[in-house]
Amino acid sequence: MSIKRLYRRALLGAGSIVVGAGLAGFAIPAAAQQDTITFGTALSLTGRMSTEGVRVREGYDLYVKTINERGGIKVGNKNYKVAIKYYDDQSDANTSVKLYEKLINEDGIKLLLGPYSSGITFATSAIAEKYQLPMVAAHAAATGTFDRGFKYIFATLTPVDQYTSNMVKMAADAKPRGQRVALIHETSLFPQASIEAAERQAKAAGLEIVYKEAYPTGTKDFSAMLSAMKARNPDVLLAAGYTGDMTVIAKQVAELGINLKMFGVSLGPTLPGFVEALGPASEGILEPIQWAPNMAWKDEIFGWTAADYAEIFRKEYGRLPDYHPPQSTAAMQVYQRALEKVGTLDPKAVRDAIAQTNIMTAYGPVRFNEKGQNIAKGMGVVQIQNGKAVVVFPTEGSEAKFVYPIKGR
Amino acid sequence: MLTLQIVLTGILLGGLYACLAIGFSIIWGVTNLINLAHGSMAILGAYVTWLIWSHTGLDPFLSIPLTAAALFAFGYALQWGVLNRIARTSLFMTLIFTFGLDMVLINVMLALSSADIRGIPLAYSSAALTIGEIRLPYTRLAVFAMALLLTYLLHLFMDHTRSGQAVRATAQNPRAAAMLGIDSNHINAMAFGIGAALAGAAGALLAVVYSFSPVTGAPLTMKAFVIVALGGLGSMRGAIFAGIALGVAENLVSGLLAPGYRDAVSFVLLILLLVLRPRGLFGDRYLFDAPAR
Repeated sequence: MSIKRLYRRALLGAGSIVVGAGLAGFAIPAAAQQDTITFGTALSLTGRMSTEGVRVREGYDLYVKTINERGGIKVGNKNYKVAIKYYDDQSDANTSVKLYEKLINEDGIKLLLGPYSSGITFATSAIAEKYQLPMVAAHAAATGTFDRGFKYIFATLTPVDQYTSNMVKMAADAKPRGQRVALIHETSLFPQASIEAAERQAKAAGLEIVYKEAYPTGTKDFSAMLSAMKARNPDVLLAAGYTGDMTVIAKQVAELGINLKMFGVSLGPTLPGFVEALGPASEGILEPIQWAPNMAWKDEIFGWTAADYAEIFRKEYGRLPDYHPPQSTAAMQVYQRALEKVGTLDPKAVRDAIAQTNIMTAYGPVRFNEKGQNIAKGMGVVQIQNGKAVVVFPTEGSEAKFVYPIKGR
Repeated sequence: MLTLQIVLTGILLGGLYACLAIGFSIIWGVTNLINLAHGSMAILGAYVTWLIWSHTGLDPFLSIPLTAAALFAFGYALQWGVLNRIARTSLFMTLIFTFGLDMVLINVMLALSSADIRGIPLAYSSAALTIGEIRLPYTRLAVFAMALLLTYLLHLFMDHTRSGQAVRATAQNPRAAAMLGIDSNHINAMAFGIGAALAGAAGALLAVVYSFSPVTGAPLTMKAFVIVALGGLGSMRGAIFAGIALGVAENLVSGLLAPGYRDAVSFVLLILLLVLRPRGLFGDRYLFDAPAR
């Protein structure tokens, strides 16, 4: 019998004693380190999504380091150190599913963190559901994961059907109102989902959809489509697709002299090349964003503002964070609040407390709907002003005022 | 009014299509190569233009001769050094080669410039000629004029210079041309160079009105293929006519019907034409009939 096996046996033995003592939910290795809660996750640390996967891990690690320096999480009357058991799913959903089974069955993890990406979360959330263990995901925006009536999956980021909601709100609240709305999107999953949601939101806000059309992937020229749109005289254009298309659409909107009061795109303004490729034609364009260091959020647990978060992260990792790390950190904070509240490690009790989450993080507010999606935060909105993307929404503490209607470009 | 606007912008779009397709047509007609890297060569031209513009601020329309010259040199060297040897083997070898060339071009551009989207904004980018409700952007008009000018210059070269006539002779009958003392290696290289130069020029024009990144060449190759098949292989008149027809048809479908049907319509046109008139509108030989060698 190898040492490793011996160790595992000893742990299992210890585990069963602990369970026998009525302290179910304790994460192993309980006997060795009684004061540590171990969370578990498999991330895409290698493979095609490894760039993002590594950032996701950094956000978790930053939380672990910080909370342990501050004495850990208080559950009941006891302080626990925090640890995370990581596996590498190699950016593959099947591997991820196996690793989550392993986390649960072999490592005895009771509190799960989500993997990276919508696709992998879709697969692994079924495992969490099967074992009735809570999974707080930080990186799954596609709504499919949340439409299956699952009770144990939660996600901190804003789902794709909320991408346009704040832009629609801005149009409805603007003076004069952005009443006539045109919607265009590429015929692929993410752009289509966000524009279909925009249509519902606009109708609910009492706005009028004057043009809605999809264009096939690979379209080079949009002038005919935009001319047809122009003839309907829209106040607001919301376009969803990827950066290259958004660039050409913005260029041709300017060329065709379409006088929009407001113009939002799903991607582009915050990515390299967009402003440079368009010059003045990019002025006033809006883009929804999950998070930026200059948003006005202030964490109620660590006391960090979004800007502090960015700075602390930079000190730790040598570069500024994109939205992935704070999304991860917020997921851990959801667990922290839930554990503090219920005072036990029982997964079902923790799950119920998570469902009641209502916290403010450096990533923004977190509150879940019955599907487990974070509906409190909404998307921030940036606008290009004088060649720079500045945050104009949420309005509290935003960098600049929303320019409306956009000036003649 | 809307229809007129759509037709006019379709014509302007067609000019760019034609410029792209003529280069493809010359290469195919003379060297019997279907250049699958044509779109990427256009994107290469866009990058050359963008580099010149971002370093010197030179207007992209003025730098077209430089871009075209650079691409000519590239095309000439490639045909002279490599393709002339491969062209003697089989059509499939040449297809594989140009497919590989496409991959190489894309990845070299990715390595040198990253996948970021590029474009060239000009001070007059958004200015337009306005007649009533019709609005024709100056850049679009200039792109169209430039495409026609290039085609006209090419026509002059082909009809009125010895080299041009040698190129045409080789396209019509390579064996007879060789017997009359025309150096076919040089002429093939010339043809490929001219085709590449036109692709580069089209790329320069494209950089002004669209956005580009290293991976955006493939749809351009498809467009060139469709236009050459429609217009007839080796026919400049055919390429211009078919380019404009395609631009107008695409625009009418996207503007008045739905953008989703755009490609369906252009390919239905292609299929109909191949069934009813396999030589294309102005072509004098079937597409895949190699000239006697």
